[in-house]
Amino acid sequence: MQTILNVNDLSVNFDTSQGLIKAVDNISFSIKKGECLGIAGESGSGKTQTFFSITGILSDNGSATGIADFNNVDLLKLTEKELSEIRGKKIGFIFQDPMTSLTPHMNIGNQLIEVSMIHKKNTKKDALKKAKEVLDIVKLPRIENLLKKYPHELSGGMRQRVMIGISLMCDPLFIVADEPTTALDVTTQKEILKIFNDLKKYKDITIALISHDIGVISEVSDTILIMNEGRIIEKGNCKEVLTSPKHEYTKHLLSCVPEWMK
Amino acid sequence: MIQLIIKRLAIAIPTLIIIIAFVFGLMRVAPGGPFTNERALPPEIEQKINEAYDLDKPLIQQFGIYLSKIAKGDLGPSYKYKDFTVNELILSGFPISLTLGISAIIISLLLGSLLGIIAAIKRNTIFDYAVMGVSLIGICVPSFVLAPILSLFFGLYLGFLPISGWNGGNIYNLILPVVSLSLPQIAIISRMMRSSTIETLNSNFIRTARAKGIPKRRIITKHVIRSSILPIIDYLAPATAGLMTGSIIIEQIFGLPGIGRYFVVGALQRDYTLVSGVMILYASLLMFLILLSDILRAILDPRVKIK
Ligand SMILES: Nc1ncnc2c1ncn2[C@@H]1O[C@H](COP(=O)(O)OP(=O)(O)O)[C@@H](O)[C@H]1O
Ligand SMILES: [Mg+2]
Repeated sequence: MQTILNVNDLSVNFDTSQGLIKAVDNISFSIKKGECLGIAGESGSGKTQTFFSITGILSDNGSATGIADFNNVDLLKLTEKELSEIRGKKIGFIFQDPMTSLTPHMNIGNQLIEVSMIHKKNTKKDALKKAKEVLDIVKLPRIENLLKKYPHELSGGMRQRVMIGISLMCDPLFIVADEPTTALDVTTQKEILKIFNDLKKYKDITIALISHDIGVISEVSDTILIMNEGRIIEKGNCKEVLTSPKHEYTKHLLSCVPEWMK
Repeated sequence: MIQLIIKRLAIAIPTLIIIIAFVFGLMRVAPGGPFTNERALPPEIEQKINEAYDLDKPLIQQFGIYLSKIAKGDLGPSYKYKDFTVNELILSGFPISLTLGISAIIISLLLGSLLGIIAAIKRNTIFDYAVMGVSLIGICVPSFVLAPILSLFFGLYLGFLPISGWNGGNIYNLILPVVSLSLPQIAIISRMMRSSTIETLNSNFIRTARAKGIPKRRIITKHVIRSSILPIIDYLAPATAGLMTGSIIIEQIFGLPGIGRYFVVGALQRDYTLVSGVMILYASLLMFLILLSDILRAILDPRVKIK
């Protein structure tokens, strides 16, 4: 199968008052088209910054070196303007905290339609049609009504579905989901993970699923990366790595998962 | 929204009565009265004057008479400007003070917000340092110090602008007073706007907007400003209060016949009705602005429930 993202020697540094912090340390990995890659590791291990750097949304004090070929374009060489034409269009992003990740003063409809109106130059009418389509995919009820609502009127689970909907507006090739279920209760978690599984099945979308929770990753991912302190400890087929881990750190991570989840 | 307005008006009336009572009490506690002169009047005449102005009645009755007149929109006769009612005096000066105040507040809001936003976007650049440096001076230097300096430089030294008089509201006559009045507010507002814009820029929903690939300019106009302007909306009423007190002095310095002088002269000469009249006007204006900022906030921030 065709490789969609090929990362080589990626490093991310942050310039802080305490000196340079190496958040990601010379990592290499690749994702095939249609695959779901899980990225596991304890918090602070560099999972998030890996994907922030690739898509150019690092904080101002961060910088990245290396190569990140996406669809045969090195993302790290693009200008901010070129990157912003890829983000939201070819790469969708879903963040950890649905409570604060939507613009509080903009209604759900506008937050959805602006994506395709900007990237695909859609008319408002076409964009609204697409918005209803994606809200249907993420299984939100009473869509007409919902489009006029503001984020504070929705529950965390509903907001996260809207976030997923936003990421789907332009039919992206690739979705990065950064701890998409961490802030949600267990039942909602299950429902959200089901959406990802559906996306894999019907849409042939490539997914990077970041989570500190191996249980979450094992439900959706085909392949897995284990990260620690900015480095990749182990990578491979998800089932194989989880059933017969080669590395001590992976064993340690697995020992933290409750018995019944295995 | 209408409910909010009605509720506010219902609170405004008792608030105004308390303010009037306070001013009324304060003026009576201060030694002397409107008709106290260096040379004592013959007792019979003083008696007659006091009767004419109801000053012989018990205080509580005086207050009652005064309140009932105000309710009819009559602020009473001035004790010192003979042949003028307070209504007439205020009407003659108010348009001038209002022009000055509204120009100053609009300029402060527009310029302050704009400078703050740009400083936040270009933070830690020369522009940011320049705006913050100048605004620090603007905060430290009060308008009554700024005004003479500006007059001296632009009025006398360069001779560009007239340094005093109203001249029928000529724009050139307005420039120096409006600038002296606005600069301290521009300084405060630009700093508030800068810090709230930086805070908004660092928030999660702006990261989402960036991840959606929204162009920078649109992120600022559609996602940032409506959130980062909220502290400025809350500052609207305090800013107005600042401008009111500032304008009393500025009008004196630039010889503008606004109502500021009535406030000063009225207080010095124990012109009870005149001082109360100006106070009532200022207090009503302030309450109106508090209401206005609440309405604006409710419009801008959907999380605000109007009760
Ligand atoms: N803006 C920043 N400035 C300095 N250090 C940062 C910044 N953002 C992230 N880091 C550091 O980078 C490291 C990796 O963070 P992250 O990728 O977010 O971890 P996680 O695996 O939990 O997603 C952490 O140690 C974090 O403290
Ligand atoms: Mg993270």
